[in-house]
Amino acid sequence: MIAVHFRRGAPGAEPPCVVPVAEGAAVPSGLAAAAAAARFTGRADAVLDLTGPPRRLLVGLGTAPTPLAHETAGAAAALAAGEATELSVAAEGVAPEDAASLAAGIALGAWHFDALRTRDVPKRLRRLTVRTGQPEAAEAAFARLAPGVAGCLLARELTVEPANRLTTRAFAERLEGLAEEGIDVEIHGRKWLEQHGFGALLAVGGGSDSPPRLVVLRWRGVLPVPPVALVGKGIVFDTGGVSIKPAAGMEAMRADMAGAAACAGAMLALARRGSPAPAVAVLAIAENATGARSYRPGDVIRTASRRTVEVIDTDAEGRLVLADALHHAITRFRPRAVIDLATLTGSVVTALGHHRAGLFGTEAALMAAAAAAGEAVGERLWPLPIGARHREDLASGIADLRQCAPASSGAFGGRLVPDACHAAAFLREFAGEVPWAHLDIAGVDTAEAPHALGPAGPTGFGARLLDRLVAMRFEQET
Amino acid sequence: MPDIAFVKPALPRSGALVLPLTEEAPLAGLAKQADEAAGGAIARGLEAAKFKGRKGQTATLWAPGAGLSKVVAIGLGKAADLAATGAEAGGGAIAGPLAQEREAVVAADGLAPALAASLALGVLLKSYRFDRYRTTEKEEDKPKLERVAVATSDATKAKAAFAPMQAVADGVFVTRDLVSEPPNVLTPAECAERCKALTKLGVEVEILGPKEMRKLGFGALLGVAQGSANEPRMVVMKWNGAAKGKKPGKPVAFIGKGVTFDTGGISIKPAGGMEDMKWDMAGAGTVIGLMAALAGRKAKADVVGLVGLVENMPSGTAQRPGDVVTTASGQTVEVINTDAEGRLVLADVIHYCIEKHDPRFMVDLATLTGAIIIALGHEHAGLFSNDDTLAQRIEAAGKAVGEAAWRMPLGEAYDKQIKSDIADMKNVGGRPGGSITAAQFIQRFVQGRPWAHLDIAGTAWSNKDLPTAPKGATAYGVRMLDRLVAEYYEG
Repeated sequence: MIAVHFRRGAPGAEPPCVVPVAEGAAVPSGLAAAAAAARFTGRADAVLDLTGPPRRLLVGLGTAPTPLAHETAGAAAALAAGEATELSVAAEGVAPEDAASLAAGIALGAWHFDALRTRDVPKRLRRLTVRTGQPEAAEAAFARLAPGVAGCLLARELTVEPANRLTTRAFAERLEGLAEEGIDVEIHGRKWLEQHGFGALLAVGGGSDSPPRLVVLRWRGVLPVPPVALVGKGIVFDTGGVSIKPAAGMEAMRADMAGAAACAGAMLALARRGSPAPAVAVLAIAENATGARSYRPGDVIRTASRRTVEVIDTDAEGRLVLADALHHAITRFRPRAVIDLATLTGSVVTALGHHRAGLFGTEAALMAAAAAAGEAVGERLWPLPIGARHREDLASGIADLRQCAPASSGAFGGRLVPDACHAAAFLREFAGEVPWAHLDIAGVDTAEAPHALGPAGPTGFGARLLDRLVAMRFEQET
Repeated sequence: MPDIAFVKPALPRSGALVLPLTEEAPLAGLAKQADEAAGGAIARGLEAAKFKGRKGQTATLWAPGAGLSKVVAIGLGKAADLAATGAEAGGGAIAGPLAQEREAVVAADGLAPALAASLALGVLLKSYRFDRYRTTEKEEDKPKLERVAVATSDATKAKAAFAPMQAVADGVFVTRDLVSEPPNVLTPAECAERCKALTKLGVEVEILGPKEMRKLGFGALLGVAQGSANEPRMVVMKWNGAAKGKKPGKPVAFIGKGVTFDTGGISIKPAGGMEDMKWDMAGAGTVIGLMAALAGRKAKADVVGLVGLVENMPSGTAQRPGDVVTTASGQTVEVINTDAEGRLVLADVIHYCIEKHDPRFMVDLATLTGAIIIALGHEHAGLFSNDDTLAQRIEAAGKAVGEAAWRMPLGEAYDKQIKSDIADMKNVGGRPGGSITAAQFIQRFVQGRPWAHLDIAGTAWSNKDLPTAPKGATAYGVRMLDRLVAEYYEG
């Protein structure tokens, strides 16, 4: 993350300066003529780059400047700043909390991943100075936001990594680094998984040279209550297995661990914030490869819960690894609530597109809180149903249930199957009586173009949402 | 369909007797009388069949005595939880076992009269059959049920409760008939012709052909129709049931997509399952049946129903991907995919509805997208609306009659997906959020008025039996919207 400082005094000629402007508000006198000429009115996320010198970036806050509006304005400024290595923000007229939100947005917008470029590496923003009348208050406000930003950026860092680098082992090792933040890290390998009957995770990971892992991250907090559990799908690469995917677009499947990455990011945020809430993340990490030891359609596997599952499609592997992870989360930790995140289905993309993730669950209050947390941080959700019929469709002729409905079983020649609902109905079977919410983030984990809070690429969707959800709902004892 | 009668509880001397029973409830009233007359054989038989009255449980006892040929017990679940939909489902479950009887008595004397009426409605709805095209069916295979006598403690009350239900059921059957008809029979002109039958109920019916629609500038609807030899129609049905003397208010409006067959046009569909596209007029069929229901029960509301009827065919005259059409509203549309035709038809009909009828609100129904099935499956229709009150009322009305709707989002981000490089908009926004972008398209024609859109592609037809509908056309929406009017817009 970029270095952020808060200082008194007006910004100088250097570095380039971000000037936030609410819609309809007066533009600072020296810039007013240019703003008027360019028809800049402070509309939300409008950016006007005045090259100067001195260079000034006017950013619009819109008519209702919420904290999120300041973040998105900051991100828009960062995206427009190009190769500037330093920026300042003219935040004298802005409340300290809003100045902090602008800085958080700039940090999110300035994120980049250059580790694998060897030449012509673009210059990147490194340092931000926020000019404010109340630097102490703004700094304190930023200290509350920075952990969420760090969590989001960790999620992006992990998700962007190609699968030949972020193998299952490498992923687990990266997570081990969270121990420095005061998080307990447990990593379970194949032998442990075999001893404890994690048949689903083992089956999915069986085809790969890179062995499956179950990683448990634990933040103890201080409240004397059971933890809130986060469960993440961490498929480091998803070929689809024997039910192999079409070649076009398959490279995007390196991000099929974005759910686990978001959970890890949320844990980092909780630790950095010193959240009083105990929390645990259970991450199911595997590579779904095609190989001589791959599991097959038709196989029946025994999950950690001892329930048997008939495999219909090896490309519906996420729900299988989550079944084992959910079971572990609820039996080992008896959590207050469990929330899972997964890039689970193409169906949710057809349903909600790229602007909202699908929200399923068993407890209305938990779902409402998750949706509200998402609105607050710009990670929007929309509830979707789990109907009786969705569960009926998972009846198996040979096992306790089947993992999905066959592709040919839908309407209109079989093509139309509500797979996101089926997946949620499947997962519900493994969530027990614990209040449970499931976020299908398949449409929102990666942005094809620069988005409201960052550049094209992994969004880190979920990390800030989970952090906010814990803050809103789980930091009291009851 | 059988006639329904409500009678005083009296033991039939012969024939079939139906016992609707709640969970763990002892036999009482007429059921007890029957059991006593049969020397306890009914109670023993139910015990042997492990019948407990659980929801959906059924048991059939043959010739248990007392002259009865058959006793059918049907479980209604816990008495405290029994609502109208549960009683309907109970009634629906009877239809199968009674199909070969000519008459049956239902011992509903233990139920409140309103629930007895609901149970009768369930029998009626589930007894529907579309057998117009069966010519060789053997006599013994045909259903024979002619009369169901529902024995109830208060026949007058039950009859009064049932009268509007019968009208609504008749509306449901209008819809199911239209939706079931094959596409070589039910062309747009034929569908419009059948609407005329509603005049008998007091509905004003106006039919517009291509010439009139050309004058009105229906470029989108006519563009869809131009590939077919079967001419398009728009039908406007008016029911003025609001109390006279009052200043006439704005009508409520229902608008239906009526693509009598959808090949997809030049963007032709895959062959597998294409026969289902005969029911791509289910939105229109639903609006027509709804108008029949409202008029049949003399709803005290002013209602207008509009349906756009076209056939979407590939041919030398068919519209092409890339064509730009001008809608009645003046907005232009780039046609990217000729298989996204429903929204084009709705755009013109909705515009006309606003200009001509100045409605209080509009609800459109359309088998619009496959994406809604991928999103929700078959238990919920997708509900999109720019008006929270209207949306909540539709959801509540649907819940009350067992036709569930699930609210889906709208928003600017989705609207951006249908920006066109050459026209005001394009008719598809890509796979992501496909049902939402379809709704966004329609929203561009509602001029900010209160509006709801029901995407019924997953609910208009069922591949398996439902509690109150046999496999096939469900008429989803007729009862929901009838209830919406009854609950909020009458008197």
